[in-house]
Amino acid sequence: MAAVKDSGFEALEKLKSTEPPVFLAPSSISEVARAASQYLFTKLKPHNPKSPFDELLVDGFDAEQIWQQIDMQSQPLLSSLRHEVKRFAKSPKEIRKIGDLAVEASHEGDVDEMDMDDDNDVEDDDDELEADESEGEEEEEDGEEEEEDEEEEEEEEENEGIEDKFFKIKDLEDFLEEGEAQEYGTDYKNKKGLSKGKNQNLSDDDDDYDEEDEEDEDEDEDEEDEEFGAFAGDDNEDADNLGKARYEDFFGGKKKETKRTMKDAIEDEEAGDGNQGTEKLSTHEKELLKLQSKIEQMEKANLDPKHWTMQGEVSATKRPKNSALEVDLDFEHNARPPPVITEEVTASLEDMIKSRIIEARFDDVQRAPSLPTKSKRQAKELDDSKSKKGLAEVYEEEYVQKSNPAFAPATFSDELKKEASMLFKKLCLKLDALSHFHFTPKPVIEEMSIQTNVPAIAMEEVAPVAVSDAAMLAPEEIFAGTGKIKDESELTQEERKRRRAKKKRKFKAESANHPVKKARDTNTEIHNTGNE
Amino acid sequence: MLRRNVRLRKEYLYRKNLEGDERQLYEKKRKIREALQEGKPIPTELRNEEAKLRQEIDLEDQNTAVPRSHIDDEYANATQKEPKILLTTSRDPSAPLTRFVKELNIVFPNAVKLNRGGQVISEIIETARSHDFTDVIFVSENRGKPDGLIISHLPFGPTAYFQLLNVVTRHEIQTKKEMGKMSEQYPHLIFERFTTQMGKRVMNILKHIFPVPKLDAKRIVTFSNESDYISFRNHMYDKGEGGPKSIELKEVGPRFELRLYQVKLGTLEQDEAEVEWVLRPYMNTAKKRQFLGE
Repeated sequence: MAAVKDSGFEALEKLKSTEPPVFLAPSSISEVARAASQYLFTKLKPHNPKSPFDELLVDGFDAEQIWQQIDMQSQPLLSSLRHEVKRFAKSPKEIRKIGDLAVEASHEGDVDEMDMDDDNDVEDDDDELEADESEGEEEEEDGEEEEEDEEEEEEEEENEGIEDKFFKIKDLEDFLEEGEAQEYGTDYKNKKGLSKGKNQNLSDDDDDYDEEDEEDEDEDEDEEDEEFGAFAGDDNEDADNLGKARYEDFFGGKKKETKRTMKDAIEDEEAGDGNQGTEKLSTHEKELLKLQSKIEQMEKANLDPKHWTMQGEVSATKRPKNSALEVDLDFEHNARPPPVITEEVTASLEDMIKSRIIEARFDDVQRAPSLPTKSKRQAKELDDSKSKKGLAEVYEEEYVQKSNPAFAPATFSDELKKEASMLFKKLCLKLDALSHFHFTPKPVIEEMSIQTNVPAIAMEEVAPVAVSDAAMLAPEEIFAGTGKIKDESELTQEERKRRRAKKKRKFKAESANHPVKKARDTNTEIHNTGNE
Repeated sequence: MLRRNVRLRKEYLYRKNLEGDERQLYEKKRKIREALQEGKPIPTELRNEEAKLRQEIDLEDQNTAVPRSHIDDEYANATQKEPKILLTTSRDPSAPLTRFVKELNIVFPNAVKLNRGGQVISEIIETARSHDFTDVIFVSENRGKPDGLIISHLPFGPTAYFQLLNVVTRHEIQTKKEMGKMSEQYPHLIFERFTTQMGKRVMNILKHIFPVPKLDAKRIVTFSNESDYISFRNHMYDKGEGGPKSIELKEVGPRFELRLYQVKLGTLEQDEAEVEWVLRPYMNTAKKRQFLGE
């Protein structure tokens, strides 16, 4: 162990003595650096009971892994050191008690801290620089450790009464402070750090703050920043602690935020967030911030009046001038657009026309076949056979026709023709009736026909028929006589006789015109034949 | 004259009323004819009337066999008379419109151009009727471009309203010297893709503006229907040198697209006339439907 220690010590010395540029170039200095790191590690091991490593494993490990090991050892150390520092800040007299050595050591540590801080802020890539950093940290830790040791001894002396193997008040305090620090963020720690009264640090802290402003966030640097980042950090802390704001933050606190309102605090937070906040927050907190900003944006959009395209029916007065031109209005057209006449269209049309011409297939107007107005001339068929009628009979028929048309027998040979002519006459009558006042009445065939008293029809019919008066009965025909009408029961005997005589005379006159056909007297005939 | 018109209108309405009965009768006769042809038994509902109907079937001839509808009745006698057309414009026509109407004057044979002046439409139609015109054609415009054409068949005939699109007049194409004279022969007609009922009706309306041509006429007027847009073209043809199959076409006369949007069963001045067909482009299926053909 001693040999190792010595070699380690030597390695340290050697590192200290080498020129800075040597670190930048790859050389055998890395072996020396590793040895030095191992030495320091073993030195610190006793002060850190929680560390899983007994010694720093260097062979075959690369810089990252070595650094991780150192980190695992140093993290808890750092926190405990901080507690010690705060404790000293509360009671500065203790520092003086400890003695010059401790002060010197702490000063050295401070100086180193400052230097190392600057180095730490720059991003490291090389093994040597990393080793340097670890070295620097460890030196700083060394200084503080020594301080802490002496404090620890003192404390232990004080608290012997309560403490035993399991319970140590110091540990309890540490634990409590850690818990508080987590809950309230780094607010607590920083305040404690500052009030330690290290005036030198303040100016340096400002420098550091400026530097940190310019650089990229690096989580490895977070802890350093937390320690030394000064005033602006408070804004960030307020953002985190808004929900858990304490009285001291607003009234009578050690800070200047006493007179700020909530709103201002929020604004500052936001400003602060922009600058520094993300560097101090965890991912969860960052996401929360993003969400909050989104929410605020959306709330703002909801409160503002909507864009005119979202307002439903908008007339021209309600939207800005010419704004409809900028919007891409899209709606379905239901009608097919008119055809664009291109060359191809005309060419196809002309082809179709040409083919039609060649086929001579046109859609011209056809002259309809007109109905025959004149019937065909019927060739009269001359009968060759001898006529059955004698010449005398022919003459007789002609004479009868001339004199008395009513008695003339039917001259038509065919019955069908007769029927046809009857139909035609009826038709002609109807057609003539339609042509209003050029109506020729039916020829009166002297038969017993009932004439009804037909009134004139109104003119609003579809086929207005004007019936000539010839068909109507005259009033005298309806009733002939004077107004004095006597019922049969009122008549005297003479009047009755007179009526009967009149009737008889009338009947006789009529019967003279139309000789009534006597029914054949079959009896006489039979009688005749019977006699002879 | 007035009473005559009233009577004619009433006859028309009466005949339209009878149409339903006539159609039924026609259907029955058709069924009987089919049954007789195929040798099947006559359907039972017609047994009572069978004898009478059979008699009527025997007496039928070409004209009576087809059921007449009131719709094309207007053109029943149109072929017996040559059409006489009156061309007018809307009020205060612009110069391009008057030029277009002058061209149409030449395109339609037997056409007469009338200056509109301040006449009312009913007056114009009355005078046309009394002078035995068969058709009146109105042309309207929008800012110099002719955009409307109304063809009104005269006795009481249908009125077809068209929209004019893509009008190219002869004046636009060439100067007066180059235009030359257009032949005024009675043209042959070509109608393409007028397949539906409505299409055939429109074909009828457009056909009867033109008279019966001679067989060897060299002028061709084409109405080609493409998704309800009718293209009008006017050509002269010549038999080419390459034999009987080659033909040279020369385009002559104005060219435009017609789009039918209404057909009314009355003349132009009868506002209350029944609308036979009207275009409805706002319906959801309007894009898919084609009314004139295909």
